[in-house]
Amino acid sequence: MDRARLMLLVVALAGAAALPWIGGPFWTGLATQMMIFGLLALSVDLLLGHAGLFSLTHASFFAVSAYTVAILQVRYGWPTLAAAPAGILLGTALAALFGISVRTRGVYFILITIALGYVVWGIAHRWSSFTGGDNGVTNVPFPAVGPLAVTSHTQYYYVVLAAVILCGLGYRVLIRSPFGLGLRGVKASETRMQSLGYRTGLHIYVAFVLSGALASFAGVLYVYYNKFVNPVAASFPVSVEAALMAIVGGTGTIVGPFLGAGVVLGLRNWVSSFVEMHHAIMGAVFIATVLWAPQGLVGIAARVRARLKGRDG
Amino acid sequence: MTSAILQAINGVSLAALLFLLASGFTLSFGLMRVVNMAHGAYYLIGGYVGLSIAEHTGSFALALAGGGAAVALGGFFIDRFLIRRTGENHLAQVLLTVGVAFVIGDVALQIWGGDNLMVPAPQQLKGAVVLPGGIYYPKYRFILIFLGVFVGIALWLLYKKTQIGAVVRAGVDDREQVNATGINVDRLFVMVSALASFLAGLAGVAGGAFLTLYPGAEWEILVYALVVVIVGGLGSLEGAMIGALIVGLLDAYGRWLLPEFSYFVLFGPIALLMIFRPRGLFGREH
Repeated sequence: MDRARLMLLVVALAGAAALPWIGGPFWTGLATQMMIFGLLALSVDLLLGHAGLFSLTHASFFAVSAYTVAILQVRYGWPTLAAAPAGILLGTALAALFGISVRTRGVYFILITIALGYVVWGIAHRWSSFTGGDNGVTNVPFPAVGPLAVTSHTQYYYVVLAAVILCGLGYRVLIRSPFGLGLRGVKASETRMQSLGYRTGLHIYVAFVLSGALASFAGVLYVYYNKFVNPVAASFPVSVEAALMAIVGGTGTIVGPFLGAGVVLGLRNWVSSFVEMHHAIMGAVFIATVLWAPQGLVGIAARVRARLKGRDG
Repeated sequence: MTSAILQAINGVSLAALLFLLASGFTLSFGLMRVVNMAHGAYYLIGGYVGLSIAEHTGSFALALAGGGAAVALGGFFIDRFLIRRTGENHLAQVLLTVGVAFVIGDVALQIWGGDNLMVPAPQQLKGAVVLPGGIYYPKYRFILIFLGVFVGIALWLLYKKTQIGAVVRAGVDDREQVNATGINVDRLFVMVSALASFLAGLAGVAGGAFLTLYPGAEWEILVYALVVVIVGGLGSLEGAMIGALIVGLLDAYGRWLLPEFSYFVLFGPIALLMIFRPRGLFGREH
C-alpha cells in the first residue's frame, strides 16, 4: 500500500470516528445504513465481481437472518449472543440450499435467483401467522452482550463501523487467498480452470455460501438498526439495488460497494425529500449506470488517474 | 372432487395468461438474446391503457388491441434506443430493463393511482357457465383459455409453417449465417420484438379483467413468467406452452392445498429441473 492510500485510509477512519459529532443524528443514521447496505452489496459482489455470477436473491439471506433475530429476540426472549448467531446460521443454511443454482450459468442463473428470491418474499408475505405478514416483526431491541448494552443509535453506529472494518479485512484476506484467485480464474475462463484440475462447480458453490453468510450478517446488523423487519427486506428491489450499489461503486473492489451504497442511499434520501417518484429516479440511475458508467465510480477514478498520469509522463 | 376440477380450470386459465407473457419473453431471448425484465411492466401498463380505453369507449376488443398496440410502440422505442445499446451483455440488460420497469411502474402509479383496478369485461363475457355435473364456473376464464389456445396455435403456425417463421428459427440457430444470406435480420428483430411487446400488453388487458391491476403486479406476474421460461427452456415456444401449464396448475393447486406456501410450490419444479436439466425441458446451449 503506497503512502497516499494510507493517508486516505487514516483520514477516512478519523472522519468515520468523528462523524457523530460533526454530522449529528441524520448523517450518522445515513452512514449506518450505508455501511449495512454496503456490506450486503459487498456480499453480492463476491459473486459478481470475482466469480462473474449475477445473483438476485441476496435479499433472501439478508431477510431470513433479520427475521430469525427479530422473532427469537422479540417472541422468545433470546439474548443477542444466541439470536444473532442463529440468524447468521439460518441465512447461511438457506444459501447452502439455494446454492444448487450454481449448476446454471449466465442468464439462467440470473432468472433462477430472481425466482428463488420471490419464494422467500412470498413466504414472508403470506405466512402471516409466523412472520407477521406485511406488518412484520416490530420492537426489536438494541443488541446487548451481558452487561454491555447498546443504548443509542450513535453507539450502534460504532458497533456497525467496527463490524464493517472487520468484515472488510476478512474479505481482503479471502479474495487474496488461493481461493479468491481461483474464483477470478473461473470468471476469466471456467473451462481452462477445469482443465487445470480445479473443481469449479464446488469452488463457486462455496463462494455462494460464503457470500450468503456475509449477506446474513448484514441482515443481523440491519434488524438491530431498523428495529423491525417486514417483507420489504426480502423483496426483489433490495436484491437488485444491492447489485446496483456494487456496480455504481465499482465491482471487484472492497470500497466500491460501500461508495455505491452511499451514492444510492444518499440520492434516494435527497430525491425523496422533494419528489414522490423515487422509484423512477432509481430506475433512471440503473439505466444511466449501464449506459454511461458500467465500471462504476472506482472505474471512473482509475480512468481519471490514468489520464493524469499520462499527462505527467 | 368438484374443487379439484375447479382448480384444474383455474390453473389452465392462468396458464393461458402466462403463456401470452412468456411466449414473447422466450422468443425475444431466442432470436435477439435479449433478457427483458420490463416484460412485467409492459403487462401492467398495457392493462392500464386497456382499462382507460375500455372506460372511454366501452369496447373490450378495442381495449385489447389498444393496450397491445400502445405497448408494442413503446417497446419498439425502448428496444431501439436503450436495450440495443447493451449488446449481448445479459447483466447490463437485466439492470437496464429493471430500471425501465421501475420508471414505467412509477409513471403508472402517478397516472392510475395505487388502488386495485379491474378492466371491465363486456356483459356477454360475464356470468357463469354450467359444466356437466352442475359445476358453475366464470365464463370469462374459459374465454381466456380460448384466447391462450388461439394465440398458441397462431404463434406455432407462424413459427413452424410460414417462411417468416422459418427465417426466425434460422435466426435463433445461427444469426450471422442468416444475415450472410442477405436476409435483413434487423427488420426481423423489430418484428419479433414488437410481437413480444404486443402480446405482453394484450396479456395485461386480458389479465387485468380477472387478476386486477395494481402497483407491484408487474413483478408478481414477471416472476411467474420467468418460472415458465426456466421450466420450459429459454427460446423454446413448446417449452413456454408446457411450462405455462405446469406453473399454472401447480399454482392453482398450491393456493388451494397450501395457501401460505403457494410460492414455495413454485420452487419444487425449479429445484428438480436444476438438478436434472439445468437448461429447462426444451432449452439448449446458448
